[in-house]
Amino acid sequence: MTVQRVFKSPGTKLLRLTVDLEAGVVRSLSMRGDFFAHPEEGFDRVEASLAGVPVGAFEATFRSALEREGVSLYGLDPADVARLIEEAAHDA
Amino acid sequence: MTLRLLRTGVARGAFNMGLDEAVLGSVAEGRQPPTLRFYGWNPPTVSLGYFQGLDDEVDREACRAAGVDVVRRITGGGAVFHDDELTYSVVIPERHPLARADIMESYRFLCSGLVDGLARLGLRAAFAPLNDILVDGRKVSGNAQTRRKGCILQHGTVLLSVDPERMFSLLKVPSEKLKGKLIQDIKDRVRGLDQLLGRPIGFDEAADALVAGFAAALGVELSLAEPTPTELSEAERHAEERYANEAWTSKR
Repeated sequence: MTVQRVFKSPGTKLLRLTVDLEAGVVRSLSMRGDFFAHPEEGFDRVEASLAGVPVGAFEATFRSALEREGVSLYGLDPADVARLIEEAAHDA
Repeated sequence: MTLRLLRTGVARGAFNMGLDEAVLGSVAEGRQPPTLRFYGWNPPTVSLGYFQGLDDEVDREACRAAGVDVVRRITGGGAVFHDDELTYSVVIPERHPLARADIMESYRFLCSGLVDGLARLGLRAAFAPLNDILVDGRKVSGNAQTRRKGCILQHGTVLLSVDPERMFSLLKVPSEKLKGKLIQDIKDRVRGLDQLLGRPIGFDEAADALVAGFAAALGVELSLAEPTPTELSEAERHAEERYANEAWTSKR
């Protein structure tokens, strides 16, 4: 099941999320928007590494992948992404 | 302290982005001093932030029909329609005294050159975190920063004039119904220097003010130079391999 969400809060930039969910697992996801991440290619690798992660482990896995790649985020909060994915999985 | 000053005039978007990257390379390798560059765009170009989705943001058919190029930047941030505007880039090693480790402080400090330059035109501008500059609460400048190869690259725009109808003929809107509201929103929130000054302002006049503003606010001498032949050929290479390459433009 592919889910699209658009999210913006006062403290963040716009996030367009596309996530492919299957049996409580994130099969693939795409985070697009006007946020910043340094280094940018590190964020690409983090995003790619999140395929196959169970929804319940998403936020912790996302955060540890950011740390592993040394990526700093500005205008994007992993907690928001995790919540959007949990809601999408719940709605499914 | 001296920064190299480049005034490279107008060029196509892929070359402009390629030259910013080439300058980043030459400063990173110590071949050139920290550099401040001013430039413009011809043809008009939509630039996308690194993480933006091409099809989310841009009406490519409309751009093609209007002769407007589309490029993806190596910096994050939002989509910008570059037409009647002045663009700058600054490249500084992260270890340089002018560099700030904290991202917000780094934006604030480098944007102080713009704030000072706008004051020289009689405008009271203020930095608005994370990456905007406002005059009377209206946005006149957007900025984006990346850190690569041990250097900070910040580039940004100052709008000389703004045409929201044209902008939204090129950028995607959620629905035709919302288009009017978005255009009104830009009219309310964004200003060109021409509106703020009550007169047209040319590229060179704005650039002269910003050159003086950067020199004063950063406390540096600016030494006018030309891009080196290596930088120019690297810029063309980056333009072909990256910025004019469909795989890069459509990577998200």
